[in-house]
Amino acid sequence: MSEPARVLHARLHLLDRQVVRESDDRLLCKVDDLEVRPGDRPYVTAILSGPLALGPRLGGLPGWLMTETDRLFRGEERPGPYRIEMSAVTEIGSAVRVAGHRQDLALERWLTRNVVSRIPGAAGTQEQDAPDDGGREAPENALRVRERREDRPGTMRLAGLLGRTVRGPSGEVAGNTVDVRLVQDGPLLAEVQQAFRPAGLLIARRRAGRLFGYERGPGLWRPSLLGALVRRMHGEIRYAEWDQIESYDDEEITLRVAWDRLRTTADL
Amino acid sequence: MKRLVGVTLGILTAFGGFVDIGDLVANAVVGSRFGMSLAWVVVVGIIGICVFAEMSGRIAAVSQRPVFDLVRERMGPRAGLVNLGASFFINVLTLAAEIGGAALALELVTGLNYLLWVPPVALVAWLVMWRVKFDTMERVFGLAGLALVVFLVALWQLGPDWGALTTQLVRPPQDEGVPTYLYYAIALLGGAMTPYEVFFFSSGGVEEKWTRKDLVTARANVFVGFPLGGVLSLTIAACAATVFMPVAAEPDSLGQMVLPVAEGLGRIGLGVVILGVFAATFGATLETALSSGYSLSQYFGWQWGKYVAPGRAARFHVTVLASVIVATALILTTIDPIKVTEYSLVFSAAALPLTYLPVLMIANDPDYMGEKVNGRFSNLLGSFYMVLLLVVALAAIPLMLATKAGQ
Repeated sequence: MSEPARVLHARLHLLDRQVVRESDDRLLCKVDDLEVRPGDRPYVTAILSGPLALGPRLGGLPGWLMTETDRLFRGEERPGPYRIEMSAVTEIGSAVRVAGHRQDLALERWLTRNVVSRIPGAAGTQEQDAPDDGGREAPENALRVRERREDRPGTMRLAGLLGRTVRGPSGEVAGNTVDVRLVQDGPLLAEVQQAFRPAGLLIARRRAGRLFGYERGPGLWRPSLLGALVRRMHGEIRYAEWDQIESYDDEEITLRVAWDRLRTTADL
Repeated sequence: MKRLVGVTLGILTAFGGFVDIGDLVANAVVGSRFGMSLAWVVVVGIIGICVFAEMSGRIAAVSQRPVFDLVRERMGPRAGLVNLGASFFINVLTLAAEIGGAALALELVTGLNYLLWVPPVALVAWLVMWRVKFDTMERVFGLAGLALVVFLVALWQLGPDWGALTTQLVRPPQDEGVPTYLYYAIALLGGAMTPYEVFFFSSGGVEEKWTRKDLVTARANVFVGFPLGGVLSLTIAACAATVFMPVAAEPDSLGQMVLPVAEGLGRIGLGVVILGVFAATFGATLETALSSGYSLSQYFGWQWGKYVAPGRAARFHVTVLASVIVATALILTTIDPIKVTEYSLVFSAAALPLTYLPVLMIANDPDYMGEKVNGRFSNLLGSFYMVLLLVVALAAIPLMLATKAGQ
């Protein structure tokens, strides 16, 4: 490899960004969650979107209402979230651009057909999208985390790693996960594109909240008042490499090494 | 003229914030009760909205991302949903009030009860949003709103005691309590900095397909539109202070609020001011209805906007239509439109920090902005306003309860 692999922070650079269709700049959805194929070297396989991806992240009553309403109106037995293969992603910037003729989400198609096209003067409803070109099936693999009812077998969701309590090897609470560092050196997805691989976790001593990008170098702590405040609220922030993780489940993450031996963010 | 047409987005946005139906009456009430002693709040509001509208316009031009995209992206789905809930609620309440306000302006002209005018106003507003191009819409209603400049002429014609107005600037009247004074201060600041202004302004920038080349246009819109709106709102207060304060009267309707213009300029002035009031409230109707569609669509990542054919943004247009229907039903319950905005202003003060915080953060993010990140001055002002807005957000609802909404 000639150039160093691209590094992203999942929550800061990918989650909750707008997905745009490359061919015509159409706004498709948000990156509501990411699908990860676990294993020794896990990697991100797809962008997940729609109520079935957003609902579990919201949690509580609003999240439950969102997922259950969606299930109610979907005919399928095991409806899954809207899914875009990572191999279709062409650019990750202020928006995530994807190639291919992806269909709109079900609600947009239903409203176009049953409401908007019946209002006089509704130009544009005739422009039908080509059917979804779908995606290749992810290979099946042994489960390491409890899968959600609608998830593809052998996958987990990246948001499941965020906001978790982290314990050290002797069981003491070390902190909370605040972000997941992704490095683009995973297996090849398309002919020229490598997958993003969760390379480690950013762990804050005190709070599970968002870092808003203030985990990056002090040169980026602007406005300085806000940067200092956010850093102060989170306490010390350290970085655990993926192979320093002993185990993880829906509740907690256990590390192989003690907090003191984790890298500080200054080394990143 | 060409220059003027280029800044109509800023004018339309600002008038929706500073001289929409709630503020028109609130400014007159404040002028008649407190004289010019609250003018400093309007100035603080003008500077604040300029700072954040400039950031959001710059972000829209550089990255094509409107404000609610930023809210969702930086604050995450949960805090984003709280903001969406609050903003959407405020939008629909304000939309109801603006439809009522435009209908009240028509009542002043025709003598027909405003409730009869509510359905046609709502229908025409929806038709405009459904079919009229964004830039046509923005030009027609932005320019027509300029008729309110007649207040400036009227103030000059009334020949007020400038010395007395100036003394009022620093001396609040003795017979009003401090909580009431602060309550009106928060209502004025909330009115000046309502979140839907930046939703509409930044989405409007995307609708107009701003790019890095349009940064000058974006700035011109901010620095012409918002100060102009602010100056008009001060003028309305000054007119009220001149006409109503000496006789200890308090205007409580749109009909009374335009009286200073009638006194200063006669029938022609009255005609012009009613046209201005109609244009400003109708413009605010469009602004709040579109903002409800923008914020919901941008939170969920739906295709939004008038830059695509209506049939290509189904969820967006259904949201706008539903908001207009709900707001019309609300105002037809004969609820007082002016009371509605008084409450929604205070609620919007409580929602301010959640909207402006992500704007401030992303305006500093070089991943988004490249070399167009905030300068030191913007950050200084932005940080100051974040602290101020936090205080205002915490104080807003307790003050409303303590003063029984300023009575």
